Amino acid sequence: MRQKEEQCVVTFRTTAGAMAMEKACKAAGLPGRLIPVPRTITAGCGMCWAAPPSARDALEELVMERRLQVDGIYAILL
Amino acid sequence: MRKTALTEKEDELMIVVNALGEQCPIPVVKATRALREMREPGTLEILVDNETAVQNLLRMASGHHLAATVEQRGEKEYAVTVEVTAPVGDTPMEEPELCCVPDSGLVVAVDTDAMGRGSEELGKTLMKGFLFAVGQLPVPPRTMLFYNGGARLTVEGSDSLEDLKKLEEQGVEILTCGTCLNYYGLTEKLAVGAVTNMYTIVEKLAGAGKVVKP
Repeated sequence: MRQKEEQCVVTFRTTAGAMAMEKACKAAGLPGRLIPVPRTITAGCGMCWAAPPSARDALEELVMERRLQVDGIYAILL
Repeated sequence: MRKTALTEKEDELMIVVNALGEQCPIPVVKATRALREMREPGTLEILVDNETAVQNLLRMASGHHLAATVEQRGEKEYAVTVEVTAPVGDTPMEEPELCCVPDSGLVVAVDTDAMGRGSEELGKTLMKGFLFAVGQLPVPPRTMLFYNGGARLTVEGSDSLEDLKKLEEQGVEILTCGTCLNYYGLTEKLAVGAVTNMYTIVEKLAGAGKVVKP
C-alpha cells in the first residue's frame, strides 16, 4: 500500500490563481507541485499547490509578497 | 501440490500442477518448483482460477524464455501451458518480480502533453492533474503509453516524473514511443520507463482490457 505523507496544500479561488502559484514557486525555487484538489478538502474541482510541510513558511511569505489569491492552506495526508 | 504425469505421448513428458484456489504467489511458487524438477523437455500445465495468477505465470515463463499459452476452461478456471523446450534446472529467472496486485487490464494512452482542447496552458495543467490522479487509482493501470506530444512527459524536466516513477514502482509498465523521442530530440532525456516501438504500442492497445486517453 502507498505510504501517505503529510503535505502542505494551498488552495485558490481560481484555476488561474493556482497556475500563477506554480509560476511564482518555480521562479522563487520553492518546492511543490500542482495537483487536483484532494476530495478531503472539497468535492469541487480545481487545482492546488502541494508541498512538503517544511516549505509552509516560505510559501506563506511568497503568497503575501505576490498577493496571490489564496483560498486556504491545509496540512493533510496525501 | 498434485502433480500427475498424464501422458507420455511421443515420449513427451506432461506435468500438471493444480493451483486452483491458490492466491498469489502460491501458483508461481508451485509452478517454479515443478519446472525446476523437470529434467527433460516436456509440457508444464498449471491450473489456476484467477487472472492475476495467469499474468504471473506468463511472466514466469517469459523470464525463463519459454513459450506459454493460456486457455480459459471455465468461468474461474484457466490452464497455462508452458512448453518446456529445455529443462531450466536451477538457472535464476531473469524477471523474478511478481505482481500480486490484480491486473486492471487498463492501458492509458497519452498522445499529448496537454489534456483536452482549448487553452494549451490549461491543458498542460490538467495533464499534470490527470497523471497525479492516475497514481491515486486503487488498482493501477497495466501499461501507460506515451507518444507524440505525450513523449514530453516522460523526459527530464517533466513535472510529472515523480508521479510516473511512483507508478513504475507500483509495477506499471511505462513506455515511450522511440520515433517520437527521436523526432523531438529527446532520446537521451528519457527519465522514466522504457523506449518502445509502434508494434509494441499496437500490441499493448490491442491486448488492453480497456484504453483510457486523457
